[in-house]
Amino acid sequence: MNGVDLRPLLLSFEVATLATILAAVIGITGAAILANFRFPGRDILDVLFTAPMVMPPTVLGYYVLVALGRNSVIGHAFEALTGSSIVFTLTGAVIAATIGAVPLVVKNVRAALEETDATLILAARTLGATRLRAFFSVQLPLATRGIVAALMLAFARAIGDFGVTLMVAGDIPGKTRTASLAIYSAIQGQREGEATTMVVVLTFLVLSLLYAVGKLTARRPR
Amino acid sequence: MAIAAVAAVAIGVLGVLATACGKSGGGDGSRRGEPLRVAAAADLALAFAEVGKAFEASSGKKVEFSFGSTGLLAKQISEGAPYDLLAAANASYVDDVVRSGACIGDTKALYARGRIVLWSSDPAKLPAGLEGLRDPKLVKIALANPEHAPYGLAAKQALERSGLWASVEPRAVYGENVQQTMMFAQSGNADIAVVALSLAVTLPGGYVAVDPALHEPLDQTLVVCKGGSAGGKPNEARAFVAFVGSEPGRAIMRRYGFLLPGEALLPPK
Repeated sequence: MNGVDLRPLLLSFEVATLATILAAVIGITGAAILANFRFPGRDILDVLFTAPMVMPPTVLGYYVLVALGRNSVIGHAFEALTGSSIVFTLTGAVIAATIGAVPLVVKNVRAALEETDATLILAARTLGATRLRAFFSVQLPLATRGIVAALMLAFARAIGDFGVTLMVAGDIPGKTRTASLAIYSAIQGQREGEATTMVVVLTFLVLSLLYAVGKLTARRPR
Repeated sequence: MAIAAVAAVAIGVLGVLATACGKSGGGDGSRRGEPLRVAAAADLALAFAEVGKAFEASSGKKVEFSFGSTGLLAKQISEGAPYDLLAAANASYVDDVVRSGACIGDTKALYARGRIVLWSSDPAKLPAGLEGLRDPKLVKIALANPEHAPYGLAAKQALERSGLWASVEPRAVYGENVQQTMMFAQSGNADIAVVALSLAVTLPGGYVAVDPALHEPLDQTLVVCKGGSAGGKPNEARAFVAFVGSEPGRAIMRRYGFLLPGEALLPPK
């Protein structure tokens, strides 16, 4: 263990935490819309939210570079405002990790919301609650278990992102070199010991998360 | 019942795959009809594509390239990847693959010496020399990962020896290999890149050569490999090596800015 650089693991935790928060905001909003509203284009919105799960990371990385790169409108404006670019920074790494995590949140939270008892929501509405109030004080709390499971999955996915991160984050040690990038570098640089440490930690973490997700979703009362 | 049926199908599919692999993998020249597989350093991406076409035209044999960072390719070959030849961007990784037993030591040969340059898609951003990298207007400077890409290591050495590393490092971004590094600058995401002359020479934009005395020489070395478990094509690999060293091969390599063995520019080793 001595001499092994632990910064990539810490950075991965930071990136995955921020990405999970971001994915929670985007994903729960998306899931709420998909679960509670019928409107033209709903299926298309669903496809768009799901697409990152099955699209090659290179395609996603390319989109990010084009849409948020330093020559893009958004990238340019962001750099003018904050003085730092989106790509090659922590922001870029977080966005890369978020892209993979959002579909997992949308899919699982939507399922959890759709499983809540509609009569309870209707009861809240008849008692005078607005749609928004009924959502936040009845539907969302009822779906807590599913939401927590979805966020754990999102975290597990975010901490392991490789492809998009490799393309947009710039692999900067201490700044954007996450654990999965560091493992790749360590293997190529013939530093197996370093790779093994991070591989073991990540494997253990992701397996524990999946186990916890299994427990959470299995004990759902019928 | 359903599970048993699925399992039966899965076992059947695996069986077919195993037989197919067994056939293609079975020793004595059974790779007939398959191309010569060359693992080549990313700096060769443009030059070798052209050398490959000329070789195919003159020999009638097919050759396929996999370009990547030398460190990655060497690692894959040591683990049994089916390549017939490794054309590296330096010498030390070639020693590694020979030591692993995957490649044939006495076929090791120097075939070119590489050079690094500063490259930008926008010639206005291009400084007169390395010293110009101090300019804070160059917000992002791309190099290949020095840990496993020889061109990245050379770039880092040159920056260190000119006392610029402390100024450049906070602005550095790293490509997985020298080709991706080039992409960072081509797409305008990095303002400037330290890359191989062989990639910069044919592209629009501009470049400034870096003094080769500032880094360990990029002695690009090749070695014939055993092709992993499928068996190698040593004769075709040697024919390709001979073609790289022949006048038509050298002419192409020269055009991409490589210094060649036996030519005046290459100091004796």
